[in-house]
Amino acid sequence: MVPLQARCWSYVIVSYAVFDEKKKTLFGQLKKYPEKLVIHCKDLRVFHFCLRYTKEEEVKRIVSGIIHHTQAPKLLKRLFLFSYATAARNSPATDPKKHAVMFDTLQDWCRELERTKGNMKYKAVSVNEGYKVCERLPAYFVVPAPLLEEDIEFFQGRGIPIWCWSCHNGCALLKMSALPKEQDDSMSQIQKNFSDRIYRTVHRPPYETAKTEDLSSNFLSLQEIQMAYSKFKQLFLIDNSTEFWDTDIKWFSLLESSSWLDIIRRCLKKAVEIIECLEAQNMNVLLLEDNASDLCCLVSSLAQVMMDPHCRTVFGFQSLVQKEWVMGGHCFLDRCNHLRQSDKEEVPVFLLFLDCVWQLVHQHPPAFEFTETYLTVLSDSLYIPIFSTFFFNSPHQKDMNVGKESQDSQSRPLNLLTVWDWSVQFEPKAQTLLTNPLYVEKPKLEKVQRKGTHFKHQRQLSLPLTQSKSSPKRGFFREETDHLIKNLLGKRISKLINSSEELQDGFREFYDGWHSRPPSYQGLLLPHLEGPEIKVWAQRYLRWIPEAQILGGGGVATMSKLLEMMEEVQRLQEKIEARHHSQEALQAEAASPLRTSGRLSSLFPFALLQRHSSKPVLPTSGWKALGDEDDLAKREDEFVDLGDV
Amino acid sequence: MAAESVHGPSRVQLLRPGSLLKFIPEEILIHGQDFRLLRVGFEAGGLEPQAFQVTMAIVQARAQNSPAQQYAGITLSQAGQSSDSRKPPIPLLETIEDWETERKKQAARGWRVSTVNERFDVATSLPRYFWVPNRTLDSEVRRAFGHFHQGRGPRLSWHHPGGSDLLRCGGFYTASDPNKEDIRAVESMLQAGHSDVVLVDTMDELPSLADVQLAHLRLRALCLPDSSVAEDKWFSALEGTRWLDYTRSCLRKASDISVLVTSRVRSVVLQERGDRDFNGLLSSLVQLLSAPEARTLLGFQSLVQREWVAAGHPFLTRLGGSGASEEAPVFLLFLDCVWQLLQQFPAEFEFSEFFLLALHDSVRVPDTLTFLRDTPWERGKQSGQFNNYTQVYTPGFPGAGNSINPQLSVWDWNLRYSNKQILQFRNPGYDPEHCPDSWLPRQQPSFMVPGPPSSVWLFSRGSLTPLNQLCPWRDSPSLLAVSSRWLPRPAISSESLADQEWGLPSHWGACPLPPGLLLPGCLGPQIRLWRRCYLRGRPEVQMGLSAPTISGLQEELSHLQELLRKWTPRISPEDHSKKRSPNTILSQSR
Repeated sequence: MVPLQARCWSYVIVSYAVFDEKKKTLFGQLKKYPEKLVIHCKDLRVFHFCLRYTKEEEVKRIVSGIIHHTQAPKLLKRLFLFSYATAARNSPATDPKKHAVMFDTLQDWCRELERTKGNMKYKAVSVNEGYKVCERLPAYFVVPAPLLEEDIEFFQGRGIPIWCWSCHNGCALLKMSALPKEQDDSMSQIQKNFSDRIYRTVHRPPYETAKTEDLSSNFLSLQEIQMAYSKFKQLFLIDNSTEFWDTDIKWFSLLESSSWLDIIRRCLKKAVEIIECLEAQNMNVLLLEDNASDLCCLVSSLAQVMMDPHCRTVFGFQSLVQKEWVMGGHCFLDRCNHLRQSDKEEVPVFLLFLDCVWQLVHQHPPAFEFTETYLTVLSDSLYIPIFSTFFFNSPHQKDMNVGKESQDSQSRPLNLLTVWDWSVQFEPKAQTLLTNPLYVEKPKLEKVQRKGTHFKHQRQLSLPLTQSKSSPKRGFFREETDHLIKNLLGKRISKLINSSEELQDGFREFYDGWHSRPPSYQGLLLPHLEGPEIKVWAQRYLRWIPEAQILGGGGVATMSKLLEMMEEVQRLQEKIEARHHSQEALQAEAASPLRTSGRLSSLFPFALLQRHSSKPVLPTSGWKALGDEDDLAKREDEFVDLGDV
Repeated sequence: MAAESVHGPSRVQLLRPGSLLKFIPEEILIHGQDFRLLRVGFEAGGLEPQAFQVTMAIVQARAQNSPAQQYAGITLSQAGQSSDSRKPPIPLLETIEDWETERKKQAARGWRVSTVNERFDVATSLPRYFWVPNRTLDSEVRRAFGHFHQGRGPRLSWHHPGGSDLLRCGGFYTASDPNKEDIRAVESMLQAGHSDVVLVDTMDELPSLADVQLAHLRLRALCLPDSSVAEDKWFSALEGTRWLDYTRSCLRKASDISVLVTSRVRSVVLQERGDRDFNGLLSSLVQLLSAPEARTLLGFQSLVQREWVAAGHPFLTRLGGSGASEEAPVFLLFLDCVWQLLQQFPAEFEFSEFFLLALHDSVRVPDTLTFLRDTPWERGKQSGQFNNYTQVYTPGFPGAGNSINPQLSVWDWNLRYSNKQILQFRNPGYDPEHCPDSWLPRQQPSFMVPGPPSSVWLFSRGSLTPLNQLCPWRDSPSLLAVSSRWLPRPAISSESLADQEWGLPSHWGACPLPPGLLLPGCLGPQIRLWRRCYLRGRPEVQMGLSAPTISGLQEELSHLQELLRKWTPRISPEDHSKKRSPNTILSQSR
């Protein structure tokens, strides 16, 4: 009865039993057996199961099974992850380093320092090897060069600035977890002295002045994020179409009242503010948060995606997530509530990050090597229990549980899979959907190209020549017409323009200044923050809704045309290269997944709801790999399944 | 231009045509109809006289009654060059030949071109020629049309290759008392030889003209660069304009009607009281959804020419040019609907968003007559079409001295746009392979067997209700005449009309659509704001336009092909044969 995906219990948010058309949350013991089961999944799919023709004992078994799997708290060691890893112990592991920098060695950090040219002022330290100092921090990390090792140990790694990334001008993005709050006067005096000393180290030359951004006091709270998302996702968890039609008229106000998009805007804005400090004011930025593992990760990785073109490649982005989130100690286990222990801790911070990145991808597609589909499958992978990447609260917890640290040398460490190896989930054919064919790669070539195309598009038809900006505080005329106007009306106008510019604050000026220039896809990239520019990540949120299907339409239609043309360009390029050898280039006629399938639906590659449907191109969980090993699935049944039901 | 306001040192004055400037302005704000805000600043010292003059000149220019006169002094260089023998880029449907060609193109065999309105004596708002059933005599047409509002009787809009016919007509003129023969003529024209007839109440669930106008005004206020809506309240403000909601209702209705037309062979009659606004909108949308031909550049332009210009949409009044109160940008609403389709089906349209933008902006440019007259009669009068019909009285329109060359239409794009811009009218993502011309072969209805229709339906509020008779006059007043607003609203079925019509259970998901038919998504998140049109006054939106897109790739493709062509002599002959394929691909997409 239950499709394979539904066995992926970590996907289930909530299940309802339906009695006489009334929905009740499945909870505890049931007095009466339901006619229908409705299951809401974390990827916003809704499953309906009719139980009317099922035998009563069967219903009982199913219901109690679901309750057990979706509500009972679990032990970490009993997660499917470990059963799978035990079973797959002997299968050859791919080298994770091929897909991302894992940041689990000192060299990885040193190389990152070199790449960002931060190695003059910052050093990688191994003081936490074996997690002697602190279990929250990774074994290796980077701190300002003059910082003493005793200082790191003093408050178990709290209160010290930890390096995230260095900007091209030498300014760095740092993060710091707050010192514990002390009632005791003498203790707080010690703390004060300690922080003063630390700040002096950071402020002394060669360090630029640092600006402290306290993310736990005057920014978003985790509760806000949690509440917004739970409201927001209800907009898409639709049981039947009638319900959906009813929300249409109020769609935008419902969307607004969830304030999810506003939270995205605030995150993006915060990142832009930080970039302005780093880039325009030449200041170090020190992010401060209680544990430095939630909003710190979010804001610092967003800033890096915007500033560092390397982070917009697939490899760079995966390394970034590895560096800031996995090694940065984001509590994936708690935030995803994999163990179903506390709903309060379940906050979709990482999803919020992906949604912010999606806004950037959507606004500047050529700047990213990956597509929105990549982000969507990444957000799904958060709950696939065969990958270890998102299943631990800290690198320490992971190392403890895979047996790396265990004394028992007989048992080899478990072979945990990393999510970054996409070939585990997807066939090569499907993997082409994850990379962006329009990615602008080489900076030099791109510059020339951009100049050409930009100029042409600038004089778009129907565009006004005279511009005005939206607020009187800003300048009256755009650069383009500036010259003309100055000549026309004399110097007075230019004086007026200048005076109005003085009113702008630094942020506005920086933001407007960037947006008034043509975007450089290999340089700094800023998002648009205005009201209409922040949008719903339609692919992720609408893909399971049959009513949202547009046959033969959607972005897929453009995408297929694009891939076709890319192939054509590639073939011609090969031909041109081969002309010297006067031999025909071998043409591997690898049909793209889109080419052969004719008219696709807008929900491609996820749900295919046509009558003559085949299975989706992108399976939504890792079950493809599992399906090959039938006996494994059975064995797993015995291992975890309902021993106590 | 919509309105100007003038800012003094501390005062603001709104200037309307005829109003007098009360002080020397510091700044003029000009709110454009096209969602732009122009801001001109003057500063004290030396410039005051000019400031006053400039402002008054603008006010005076606005005071002119008609946009045509306003531009009387402007001569268009290109307009003068064109000779009389020049062929219009799009058949303007002012001659009987155009109608005959178009009829043959649609393979509408049961229809003929009627010349009954050649002198505009049936209705001035109707075109001189239109299509009526073969069997109906011109005298019958004349009599039947008299029983419709403003003489706009049932005419063929489009013949579906599968056999169905899409008709449009005005409301029944209930006060008239037709005799039996007239009723029979009316009925047989509505029936058009089909045994299955569906009357569509066009206005039901669509906004009224006043609604459209109000929504458009609100949208403009919201989208102007000086709107003061907070960022986090933007979406509810957008919802408050209701513009997107109206777009949605139009699309949903059109999609339902195209299901009616494609799913069975029948006659579908769009009935709107005036037959000059939403009938055109729906009929054009239905054709865009069901006919790949209408989605080409040429096809779309002739569609607009036929269903809007020739069919007598009162452009001048609706766009506020005549000063009358019936201003309502129905045509702009239509363009928004088309844009929604364009963004939902990016590979199905030959024209691009820029083409739609160009059309959107041309609506108010007074260099051709296309959008500057309310009826084909007025347009024809001006262009001197009736010089050989002495019966037609030609009032003193300033014909000779006018700057507008009557031979030109809005479709002469090179009047306003450079060749480079016109090249951008094509959608590089257009993939015509996806819309094969192979239609499901269906039996043509036989026009030899008239007989009374076996089933007559009223399509209203998303579902079909059986009707006893087609016309309201015989026994009881028609439901339509009584105003369908009184009909009880049937519960919305969870099945879509497509599923009902194809007889498939809804839980199967979407059905296999006939080739070429598009069914748009109408859900809240799927209807979007046409940012490049409405928000282009905002500087931040313009920047997104320069992204290298598909067209960049296409340039690279042609560049590479050019390179290869140069080297062709060096390449072996077998290679040469293979090289054909890229060329053909490109020529298809061009």
